[in-house]
Amino acid sequence: MTFPNGDRSQAEALVTDGYVDALLAAGDRRATDAPADAALDPAIRSAASRLRRDLVRAHPSFRFEERLARRLAEQARRMSLGLATAAGAEGVPIATRYGDDREDPELAAIRAGLVDPSALEDVGIVARPVLLGGAFASAAISLAGVALVAWRLSRPGARPMLRAVRAARRTRMAGWPRTSTGIRFGRLS
Amino acid sequence: MARPVFGTTARTSDDSIARFDPDRGLVEAARRDPARFDALYRRYLAQVYSFALYELRDHHAAEDATERTFLRAFAALPRFEERGGADATPRSTFRVWLFQIARNVIANERRTRRRQPAASLDVALAAGLVIADPLDLETESTVHEDAAAALRSVNRLPDDRRRAVILRFVDEMSTSEIAAVLGRSEGAVRVLIPRPLREVASDLESRRDGPRSR
Repeated sequence: MTFPNGDRSQAEALVTDGYVDALLAAGDRRATDAPADAALDPAIRSAASRLRRDLVRAHPSFRFEERLARRLAEQARRMSLGLATAAGAEGVPIATRYGDDREDPELAAIRAGLVDPSALEDVGIVARPVLLGGAFASAAISLAGVALVAWRLSRPGARPMLRAVRAARRTRMAGWPRTSTGIRFGRLS
Repeated sequence: MARPVFGTTARTSDDSIARFDPDRGLVEAARRDPARFDALYRRYLAQVYSFALYELRDHHAAEDATERTFLRAFAALPRFEERGGADATPRSTFRVWLFQIARNVIANERRTRRRQPAASLDVALAAGLVIADPLDLETESTVHEDAAAALRSVNRLPDDRRRAVILRFVDEMSTSEIAAVLGRSEGAVRVLIPRPLREVASDLESRRDGPRSR
């Protein structure tokens, strides 16, 4: 039987897919091979069988496994405390802040529902989730705003109005009357 | 030789990955009692770690990625939704969702690393990080040698094909699961497999004919 090129690749894909499925199922039975469609390319069959055998699943160290298990258990304990305090509330409280959130702001954003960690990113190209980028940008702007306000408060003389007031003071304003609000200009600087 | 069976899980048929999520009970239990997340963690630790290890080729980086994957999954579990794929929404089970998180974590890790580390997976294999089937301990060295050769062939594949091959053969995912993890159509993923298999076959054949590189 002959196929057009597109159909042939589709047919080959289906045959290969069926064979790999059978091969994986055979592995569960500790069998080393599985029946294959006669149309399956022997090279593909051989490679699939080889990869099935040789691409072994790895396991991290026991120490790592237990350390992460303890960390997750600690998170679970804290979340349970959060659940207990929020008894009666609808849904699971996720916005509580734990120590780990300070270490990893993304975790805090996930708990708060601001970030979906499973959302598809372009896994090959530099790209951050818009929401995550927005959250970080928003946080950065907020921090910058706080810093600016703090800096301005610590340096009130930098304001144009106060500079003008100081200039006026230098020219002999010390004896000016109080304003209608009863505040001397000079007291502000 | 039987393949190592560490951490194997029941597979679902190709066209029904989310009609019944085998983890539904564990997920519901973990939602009621967060401490029960431990069962999901133990079930998928080796799978997630293997995916990270094959992708990042460095066991320290793989451990970091694994840790971040599970912490994120735990934090986001209240919002996980099993989807059946009956409409336009992609199918998703807990395992698919977990691997979607792992995919993002690994992608971020790859972006932050300016170059591949000097230590390759070969080093990890040599260090005994791969758990061979206890029944086959006497063939462990052969396992490592063959695994390293197969790995070298797979590592020569373009990213998308390598990723599909790893998910298919190491994590034993169905085509539809891989499609959901990689955000591609099922047909695209199905076509993605035969070509790399042919490339791997050719590569392994040429190595067998030529001098061994190890």
